[in-house]
Amino acid sequence: MTLERARQRAVTLDSQIDRQLAEHRLDSPANVFSEIRAYLLRRADEMTTRNDPYQLLKFRREQGFEVIVLGPQFDKGPTPQHFHFDSGARLSFGLTLREAERGSQVVSFRYHYAFPDERSPQYLRFDLNDGPHTDPLAEPRCHLHPGIEDVRIPFSVHNPIEILDRIFFVLERAT
Amino acid sequence: MPEFSTEPFFEIARRLEVRGETGWLAVLSPATDSTAALDELQTELQSVLQKLTRVIQLEASTFEKLRDTLHQPDDDAVILSGGAGLTPEKWRTLDIMRSALERKGPVILWLAPDDIANLANLAPNIRSLIGGSIFVAGPDGGIMTETERQYRLKQLSEHFGLTGEEVVRKAEARELPHDPEFVEWLVLLDRGDLV
Repeated sequence: MTLERARQRAVTLDSQIDRQLAEHRLDSPANVFSEIRAYLLRRADEMTTRNDPYQLLKFRREQGFEVIVLGPQFDKGPTPQHFHFDSGARLSFGLTLREAERGSQVVSFRYHYAFPDERSPQYLRFDLNDGPHTDPLAEPRCHLHPGIEDVRIPFSVHNPIEILDRIFFVLERAT
Repeated sequence: MPEFSTEPFFEIARRLEVRGETGWLAVLSPATDSTAALDELQTELQSVLQKLTRVIQLEASTFEKLRDTLHQPDDDAVILSGGAGLTPEKWRTLDIMRSALERKGPVILWLAPDDIANLANLAPNIRSLIGGSIFVAGPDGGIMTETERQYRLKQLSEHFGLTGEEVVRKAEARELPHDPEFVEWLVLLDRGDLV
């Protein structure tokens, strides 16, 4: 049970994530954008806090890639561009898709859910990197930051809507 | 042509959703790139209504075929695409079929802007079914503006203390970290080839 064995296991886990991502197909980028917007609009309808996903959610398509973003890349406090929850929490995210045969593939994402002020942890962030780190034990390709920048816990959900499910129906309800 | 409200497809789909997902409405296609626009309308209807959405070409349909297609199934969303080639005879046939066209799911009549006169003159029953629910296809929104793109690039540059040129050089040398922010950076720079 050495550090070296732990690193080998982390490498194996990253390889599994690579395989899952290669096999995982989403709809076309346009469909994914539309689906996320419809999802957010439905959630916004269920809340008291006003959000306008039509204005908040943006995309850019270039050379077979699509970036879908909501809010700032770095959470430095609340902004009008965040999606705001009734609990006082806020969400920003960015995801990149690559066009592929019969749809698209996820390249990377970052979903930052910031808890209301004074809460601990201050945030959870779901990240997918576009490739393996040299030390996958410290930085698995697909990981969760539990409110600490240098701590990354592996996880394996790759569908953008499924991550939003966890944020809206699990995190927000527990906040 | 009377003034009709210009709405993005997303809003048109929302109107149908609020209405309980039934009924008819008409959408006037943009003058250019109407095929791509029709695809977008279909996508938005599926996303918002969470229903299968079929496109049926009116020009190619006989009375019996159209009736059967609309009722098998009868609860999904259907876009009836008129097309510029719809003859007066076809319009009149469509009008006579009005009661046979009634179904549980919504029907969206996709028309070229010039077809609105044919709808009023040759298919008054369908026109009354649609009532005031005629919309002009508007910009669908969501596209990142150049100002927004530049703002996001500036935020990335300030956060990491790197210029766009330096990021490209690092990516070319395979020295760029794999964090999602760098992927966004490259795509915003139109250098997705380096991802």
